[in-house]
Amino acid sequence: MPIHEKSLIRPENLTTHDELVLDGVDVSGHWSTFIETRVVKDYNESMEEEIAALPGGEHIHRCWQCGSCTNSCTVNAINPDFNPRYWIYLIRMGYESELLRDKDIIWQCVSCNKCTYACPRDVFPEGVMKATAHWLEKKGHTTKSPSMHFDEVFTEQIVKTGKIEESRTIRRFFSRTGQALMQPWMVEMVKRMLKGLPVSLLTRMGLATLFAPRTSDWSRASAALEEYIDEQEEKQAQALSLAELVETAKQDVAA
Amino acid sequence: MSKPVLVIGGGPAGLAAAHSLASVGKECVIVEKEDKLGGAPILSGYAKLVPTGEWAKDAIGGMVKRVEDEAGVSVVTGATVTDFDGTPGDFTAKLSNGDAVEAEAVILCSGFTHFDSVNKPEWGFGTYPDVVTTTQVEQMISSGDGVRCPSDGRKPKRVAILLCVGSRDRQIGREWCSKICCTVSSNMAMEIREELPDCHVYIYYMDIRTFGLYETKYYWKSQEEFKVKYIKARIAEVTSDGEKLIVKGEDTLVKRPITIPFDMVVHAIGMDPNVENPAISETFGVDLEEHGYIDVAHRYGAMGETSRPGIYVAGSATGPETIDDSIAQGHACAMAVLSNAKNLKSA
Repeated sequence: MPIHEKSLIRPENLTTHDELVLDGVDVSGHWSTFIETRVVKDYNESMEEEIAALPGGEHIHRCWQCGSCTNSCTVNAINPDFNPRYWIYLIRMGYESELLRDKDIIWQCVSCNKCTYACPRDVFPEGVMKATAHWLEKKGHTTKSPSMHFDEVFTEQIVKTGKIEESRTIRRFFSRTGQALMQPWMVEMVKRMLKGLPVSLLTRMGLATLFAPRTSDWSRASAALEEYIDEQEEKQAQALSLAELVETAKQDVAA
Repeated sequence: MSKPVLVIGGGPAGLAAAHSLASVGKECVIVEKEDKLGGAPILSGYAKLVPTGEWAKDAIGGMVKRVEDEAGVSVVTGATVTDFDGTPGDFTAKLSNGDAVEAEAVILCSGFTHFDSVNKPEWGFGTYPDVVTTTQVEQMISSGDGVRCPSDGRKPKRVAILLCVGSRDRQIGREWCSKICCTVSSNMAMEIREELPDCHVYIYYMDIRTFGLYETKYYWKSQEEFKVKYIKARIAEVTSDGEKLIVKGEDTLVKRPITIPFDMVVHAIGMDPNVENPAISETFGVDLEEHGYIDVAHRYGAMGETSRPGIYVAGSATGPETIDDSIAQGHACAMAVLSNAKNLKSA
C-alpha cells in the first residue's frame, strides 16, 4: 500500500486474532491482522432526499464537488476534519455510517456564509450544514445542541407574544441547557446595570420581567405562525419517516 | 462549370452540402452506400437531438426530403466509389453499381463508425443482456417502447451510464475525446428520468465535457432539475451476481472501492473513424490524420481542403463532430467548392 494511503486505515478497522490457524498455518498474533473492507456496497438514495426536505438543504443535489466551500471555510481553517464538500458527497451517495463518524463536529458551522459566496452552483453549503445538523438531531444521532435550544426558546417567545424579552430568553435558555442562572458574569452584569442605568429604565425592565410584553392584536398572527410551523414540522417528519422510526423503536422496546 | 459536384455520403454534412450547392444552381450527385439517406441519426435511430430536442426523424428527415425534392441533386444509394481518377475540375468516379460519374470536385461526407463495445469486454457488453450502448437506448426511446431491461423487459430502478467507452483509452488505440458523449449522456439521463421518475441515474465520468452552452443546458440541468448523480470513477469491470449487474470501480472522491448493484448499464460509446477510411484514403488519394480520420490539410484558406486538390471533407469524417457542426461544415464546404471553381475558371 502506498504510504500516502496509510491514513485510510483506521485503528478500529483492524482486527488481530491471538489464536488463528488458516489452512493449517498458525497465523496467531500480529500476523493475523486484518483490515476491514472499505468497499461501498450500495447507495442509499433516500438520504439526500431527507436532507433536502429540511430548510437549507434544498439545493444539495446541485453540488459538483469542486471544494470551494471547504476551501473558503472558517472552521476548516482551524479543524481540517470539518469538510462540508466531503459531507455533501456522503449525503448524496448515502454513505450514512461515514457521515455519522463526524456527527460531533458538523454542528460547529459558524454560519459565516463564506461558502455561500464561494459556491459556483448556489448549493448554499451553509444551509446544508444547518439541515444536516438538524437531520442528525431529528434522527436521534445527536442530542439537541445549545444553539438549537436557543433557537427554540427564541422562536417560542416570538410566536407567543410577538416580542422578545431578553431576561426571559436567557433564563429559559439556561434552564433548558441545564446551566445555573447565577453565573458570575451574569451577577456582575446585573450589579453594574443597577448601578449605571437610570431608575425609569430599570423599572420598565423589572415590569417586563413580571408581565411579558405583548404585541397588540397578536393572537391571530400567533395562530397563523403556529399553524405554519406545525405544517412544516409534519412535512419534515414525514420526509424523514420519523413516525416509522418511532414505531420501530416501540416495537423494539416491546420485543 | 458543366460537371456536377460529387458528394460522398448522405448524412447531415452531405445533405447540407448538396442543399447548398443545389440552391445556387450547382448540380450534384450524392453517393450513399446504405439504402437510404440520413446518415447515423436516421440509420441508427437516434431519438431527440441536441441541442434543439427535435426528433431525429423529423429534423434530419426534413433535410433528406429537402434534398430529394431538389431537381439539381441526383441520389445514388446502395453504392460506393470503387475507382477514382482525374484532376480538379475533371474527375471521374466509377461506382460499385457499374455507373461512372464525372465530377468537378468531391466532398467527402463519409462520417464515422460507432465504437463497438465488444472491444471493452471488462464492461460486460455482449456478456450481459442488460449492458447496452447509448445507441440502443436512443432506439428504445425513438421507437416509443421506452427504456426497458432487454433481459426481461422490466423498468430499470437504477441505471449507470459509463462515459468514455471507446474514447480516451490508449489500451484500445483510441486516444481522442469523442466530444459529444457527455452531452448525449446527460440528455439521455434526463430522458430516462422523465420517462421513469423512480429510476435513479448515475453517470460515471473522468471529466465532464459538456462544452460551451451545453454546460447549463445539459450538465447543470440534468443535476438541478432531474437530480442525475455524477460520480468520478472510471469503472474497472461490470459483472453480475445473477440478479443485478455489479459495477466495480473506485469512487475517487472518497477514495473507496465501490461494488454497486444496477439494473442496467449504458455504455456511452465514442465515435471511431469510419471503418472504410483506409479504403476511402486509397481510392480518393487523400491522407488520413494520426487517429485515422480524413486529414484536413488547410484550415484558414477554405473549408475542409484535404491533401488532394479538388477533394474536400466535412462533418465527422474529419473527427468526432456534432450534428449541427457537421451541417455547418457541409454548407461551408459547398461554398469552398464554388469559390474554388470560380478561381479555376478565371485561371
